[in-house]
Amino acid sequence: MLDLLQAVLDGVLFGATYALIGIGFTLVFGVMNKLNLAYAAASIGGAYCGLLVMGYATSAAPAWAVFLAAFLAGGVLGYLVYLTCFHFIPLASPLATLMATVGMLLLIDEIIVHATDGMPKAYPAMFDDEMLRMGEFTLRGDLLLVFTVSVVCMVGLLALLYRTRLGLATRAVSEQPVAAQLCGIRVTRVNAATFVITGLLGGIAGAMIGASVGTLSPLLTTPLTVKGLIVTVIGGLGSIPGAIVAGLLVGGFENLFQQYRGVTERDLYVMLLLFVFLVFRPGGIFSPRGGRD
Amino acid sequence: MKALALAVTAALTSLALGLPSGAAAQERTVKIAGMGAKSGVVRSFGVNSEAAMLAAADEINKAGGVKLGDGTRGKMVVEFFDDRCTAEEGISVTRRIASADFLVIVGPTCSNVAEPQFGILQKKVGDASDSGLQMPIFTDVAIKGGLAKISEWAFRNVPSEATMYSSLFNYVRTEYPDVKTVYGGVEEDFAHSRATWYAVMKDRANANGFKVLGESKWLLNDTNFATQVREIKKANPDAIAISAHPFTTCGVLKEMQRQGVKPKVLIGLSSSSSLETLEGCAKQAEGMIIPTSFAPVNPKAIAAAKATAKFKGNADLHSMAAWENMFILKGVMESEKVLAKPDSLQADRRKIRDGLAKLKTTDGLLGTTKREDREAEKPYVFVRAKNGQWSVYHNPL
Repeated sequence: MLDLLQAVLDGVLFGATYALIGIGFTLVFGVMNKLNLAYAAASIGGAYCGLLVMGYATSAAPAWAVFLAAFLAGGVLGYLVYLTCFHFIPLASPLATLMATVGMLLLIDEIIVHATDGMPKAYPAMFDDEMLRMGEFTLRGDLLLVFTVSVVCMVGLLALLYRTRLGLATRAVSEQPVAAQLCGIRVTRVNAATFVITGLLGGIAGAMIGASVGTLSPLLTTPLTVKGLIVTVIGGLGSIPGAIVAGLLVGGFENLFQQYRGVTERDLYVMLLLFVFLVFRPGGIFSPRGGRD
Repeated sequence: MKALALAVTAALTSLALGLPSGAAAQERTVKIAGMGAKSGVVRSFGVNSEAAMLAAADEINKAGGVKLGDGTRGKMVVEFFDDRCTAEEGISVTRRIASADFLVIVGPTCSNVAEPQFGILQKKVGDASDSGLQMPIFTDVAIKGGLAKISEWAFRNVPSEATMYSSLFNYVRTEYPDVKTVYGGVEEDFAHSRATWYAVMKDRANANGFKVLGESKWLLNDTNFATQVREIKKANPDAIAISAHPFTTCGVLKEMQRQGVKPKVLIGLSSSSSLETLEGCAKQAEGMIIPTSFAPVNPKAIAAAKATAKFKGNADLHSMAAWENMFILKGVMESEKVLAKPDSLQADRRKIRDGLAKLKTTDGLLGTTKREDREAEKPYVFVRAKNGQWSVYHNPL
């Protein structure tokens, strides 16, 4: 029983990394009603850029500096993704932007592969060796940091959305883009700002994931994209708190299934969980209330 | 004077008509196709194999090329194809190569490509009822045991993991008498790592008197190894054998460090004795022992590694097998009197196949390789991660 609880606890904490990716997916969907499938790849790309910029491998820059570089690189990548996949592509066609982001996912993945020859790169971590002991249980210090960062990001994003003019404009564009435009809000600028903000968040997500895994590899992009989407759907499309709760939930369930059914069946049950939500609660845990539209 | 004028006229006429001069007519190309993963997460394997093949071809050409059956010299030309480490792409690439004028294929990288690829070759040579491809393939990387038996056109120059791990566990038993138990860690969804744990490491550990306490499993894309390492910790083994590729090997080693798991002996998968592991987790891999069929331990091996580096590749057990293959093929082409002419293509392919099948031994960078049933029994050493580098730990031969 103790093993089971510990496994679930490990999973819940690791789920914080899924939550960070889920927040990015959900924010773009909430504002533009579009899925950005390149988000996880761009987040890992941001982390790679951070590593490259700081030249960690040679000069051993402090971890926080690498994280900061990843944060900034993530913002730049977010804007580039917006320009290439959304700005010049007709937004009225949902499939066009979706496929553009799929292409961008593959492109970023392949750029990383070509730049690194697919070799894993050591990534710095903070509190990596710290283990919080609570009786029989242990908690990883670095995952507690990721969890804290997820919560801080959520609070920061909610504050941005509900306490600033940019947030007001973002919500207006999200709810009624035409009316927002008629009120003088520059929709394209708000959309671009959303991508930069999610990109910055993606940079943090990439850095936190790199730090918690200890290594960066192109192998990370596809599983994170899948997990991020699952988290977004289970949490409720467009719900930031939902993404966090769903991230932790998926992480916990993943380890629970692994403990009971083994690693080869684990993902099968996670998909089954998604299926259950789609059937019985298609709007997710925090399904938004139905509006006038 | 009249004769000289005639000769000059003849030479000018031949130039005007675009006929090749004597030397140009004598030079032929011997086209060799390389194939392997040059995209995706195993890209480094393809990049290194290609570099080694180009470097070997360069060296062979500088020394005069290949002496062909009619006495002319042939220049070795290498073209490398990306199979993306997927079976469908591998088969498509193989068919494309077979339909062109390549004499032989060196590759592929992945065992999950080699297995179906060998399956589309003719099973038995000369079987008129079998319409499979008649194309010799000389594998450098795909290491899963026993693959060459699929077709008589398939040959491999990869080390025998059964022999290497048998020797390694025997060495551990002798050198570490207090090591009695072994626990395995296996990347469950990758052909090579899975086969190596279940069919090789586990079996060899048992055969050498170790008690195998169990195994923890994970997948190639996994990022969280807390549960698996907890299982290992609970079993408290004396030795841990990890049959996984560098990305997850590093993930597991980092989790072992977090949870304070310190075995007396740490054993790794042959493919992990590469730069990738050191790039990912040099500190955590410190002390890991791996058997490998290449290490720069003699002048020949050092020179091969340097030549490969000029073509932007790293020398490891896989890429250096590609290097060796090129020299073995040169010898076979010369002994079998290959012509490398467009009209002798199929006959040349058959000659190369027959020549490879005749070989009982070949020269390798670490010494003589024994050959049996189209498979190799290569010399090997044990390397250990030390101060961020792989250094030779023991030479059992």
